[in-house]
Formats: sequence, C-alpha cells, structure tokens
Amino acid sequence: MSDKRVVRVEVNGAWHDGLVEPRRTLSDFLRDDLDLTGTHVACENGFCGNCNVLLDGETVRSCLMFAVQADGRSLTTVEGLAEPDGTLGRLQQAFHDNHGLQCGFCTPAMLLTAHEYLEAYPDGGTDEQIREAISGVICRCTGYQHIVESIRAAAGGAA
Amino acid sequence: MKPAPFAYHAPDTLDEALELLAPGDGVRVLAGGQSLVPMMKARALRPTVVIDVNRIPGLAVVEEEGGALRIGALTRQQALLDNDVAGRAQPLLHAAGRFAGYLATRHRGTVGGSLAFAAPWAELSAAMVALDAQLEVRSARGERTVPARSFFTGPNETVLEPDELLTSVHVPAAAPRTGAGFHEVSARYRDFAQVAAAATVTVDDAGVCTAAELVLLCVAPVPHRVDVAHLVGTTGDAAALDAVAGLLVGLEPLDDIEVSGTYRSRVAVTLAKRALGDAFDHARGAA
Ligand code: FES
Ligand code: FES
Repeated sequence: MSDKRVVRVEVNGAWHDGLVEPRRTLSDFLRDDLDLTGTHVACENGFCGNCNVLLDGETVRSCLMFAVQADGRSLTTVEGLAEPDGTLGRLQQAFHDNHGLQCGFCTPAMLLTAHEYLEAYPDGGTDEQIREAISGVICRCTGYQHIVESIRAAAGGAA
Repeated sequence: MKPAPFAYHAPDTLDEALELLAPGDGVRVLAGGQSLVPMMKARALRPTVVIDVNRIPGLAVVEEEGGALRIGALTRQQALLDNDVAGRAQPLLHAAGRFAGYLATRHRGTVGGSLAFAAPWAELSAAMVALDAQLEVRSARGERTVPARSFFTGPNETVLEPDELLTSVHVPAAAPRTGAGFHEVSARYRDFAQVAAAATVTVDDAGVCTAAELVLLCVAPVPHRVDVAHLVGTTGDAAALDAVAGLLVGLEPLDDIEVSGTYRSRVAVTLAKRALGDAFDHARGAA
C-alpha cells in the first residue's frame, strides 16, 4: 500500500534520485537519504522552523512536506550557501563575525530565512522587518539580537 | 513521530481527484500540508489514501470581477497577501492574512486548507465569515455552495463531507468607503491567536456608518459573529464603540493551557473596539 516512489530533486544545483515511501518527509529525505545533515529537525511538527529549506527560492518547513512532493523541484539547503571552494558565504561570515549563533542548531534555518529576506530587502530593511522575517524560526540561545545584527551586517552585498 | 503509511496519489485533474476522494473514509486531501501533516505525525489522522492536489491546474487562481473575488482554494496564503488586487478589493483579507502563521508556512499553507481545517484561531476563517464569503464545494456527487457563515460547526469541524473538496471561495464586492481592521493577541509574536477580532465598516460621504461587521475568534466554538447594527448611523465615536462591551456579555470562552476564558472575554472587548476603530479610520481614509 505504500509502494516506494522515485523522487528526483535538484539540491544546491545537483540532481539527486531517491526511492522513498510516500510518508518520508523531505527533511528525513535530505538528512538520511542524501546525507545532507545541515538541515536540522527539532519539533518535526511545523512549530520551530529549524527545518526550513528553500523550495524554488522560498522558505518552507521541510518537516511538513513529503519528499514525493518535491519531485522535479529545486531546493537550497544550508550546504548551498557556502562558496564553491567551501569557505563561508557572505551571510554565513556575517553570522560568524557578529555572534549570530551560539549552539548553532537554528543557524541553518536562520541563514536560509535571512537569505530569502535579503533577496526581498537587499538594503536590510528595518530591524522590525528583520524580526518579523525570522519570527518563524525559534532560537533557544541567542535572544535573537545578534542574529538581527548579523543580518543587518550582511545587507548591502550579495548575501 | 512519523505518519502511518499511506497510498499516495497526485492527480492532474480535478475530476480525477474527486473520483479518488469518492470513497470518503480513510481518504484525505493534501494541499499545503501545514495542518494535515502535523496531524498525521501525531497519528490523530491516519489516512490510508492521501490525494495531493498540488498538481491540479487552476485551483490556485485569484480572479477579480467588479470588486468581487474568486479565490482558488489552493491559493497559498502568502500569494493572497502578495495579491494587490485582492488586497484593494477586500482589505480585510490582507489585514487578517498577515497574522496567519509565518512566511515559511504561508508559502505552503493554502486559503482552502486553512478554512477546511477550521482551527479556532484561523484568521482567514474570521475574515471569510465577516465578508460573507461563499465556499464552493465539489465532490463526485456534484457541487454545492456553502456560506462561510454556516460552514464551521465546531473547533476543527466543518460541514464538509469526507468525499468533498473545497475548490474556491467567492468574496462579494465591498461597498465603496469600506474599511477593515484586525487585531489579535498571542503569547509569542505571530503565534496562534488567543483572541482575535476582525471588523469591517462602511461609511457614507459624511463618515457615518452604514454597515459594520465584527467577528471574534476563540471566544466560541466557531468564529463568532457579533451583531453590531447599533453602529449604523454613528461615526464610531467612543460611546458607540464602548457599547460593544455589552454585546459580548454572556460569551463563555474556554480556558486552555495558555490563558483563561475570563482573560479572553476581557481582551475580546479591547480587540473588538480596536478592530472596529481601525475599520472606521480606514473607511474614512479610503474614499
Ligand atoms: S522541525 Fe520542522 S518546524 Fe520544527
Ligand atoms: S544558536 Fe542555539 S538555537 Fe539558535
């Protein structure tokens, strides 16, 4: 009854095939089948936003999608934010420089959420807009202030 | 937890979807997945067949004609917010919709899904009741139209039969000089509403009210429409707005883990006045 299906997705520019049960979530597919463990899973219920990835450029909760639904689509995970030579991308560097992370658990989702935000507000917008943008991602460490500062610092360049 | 196993179908046409949905029992529609998937993970729902309607063309279209809107059920909540035509035609859709979830959930979550799951805090439910929207429902047996005002039957319950699919929402045109207001409180920024108030007000050239609607969330089992006819003929002055308090006496909102029913009752009065006040201001500004 739950025959496996072939899924073909583009992740960070490279196409991957997988054979999954329909109930396989996108987050489990990324982490366990493709070994892309940068996508973090916490609540697995849509509350915390830590599993956010970009689906065709838009943030989505990867724990609330089935992998089969991503068939033929393009995904960006945190692994895709680094420079091709593996060094930190501009946004990642800004988080590093401005103490935008402590334990780092929320960081992949924060980075992808910030990436989407900076595409819409390249000049960084207001602090309130930044806070609104990241409100869907829970961080248990930083108190958010340094995350807001990191995003502001990254604004203005190619994030 | 992980969802129980299910058979997955992603039909390309509405007819196919309705055919698959016909058995009803054990079959569920997957649209945005923002309500269904968590419920499946909690095993509160264990569908044996899941019908993914995301590949059906035409279900996510928003059309405007003479100020009236037809919103396809698969319209993403964020797409509705990004739709300036819809926002101009019915400002309440944007005023309420921006409180719905977060950007990442609005990118997936759909207008129809929000209504069909009927969460007590669902902002769009309040908006559709206030706007007297008509919901178009299809099944292999036929088609019917259900007013939003009689769609909801309880928390997470609607008149939808298991084999029915909500396909679109028709919102009648707003009268000229109609304004909207929406206010809610939640424990954390943009978290589920503990209480919410949606309001629309229409005024004449002199700024005097000719029609008003008020709908509250989380004070009754379904979105609660309050008869605010007393506002007609007023300018929304303090006395007129204060009189709203008397209309909410007797409501018995429930306690939950976050807040008491008493708190909800009190806050509801304040939010109702704010939402109506905003709607008055907005109506006067929107000549
Ligand atoms: S892990 Fe997906 S929202 Fe928390
Ligand atoms: S840095 Fe630890 S959760 Fe955000």
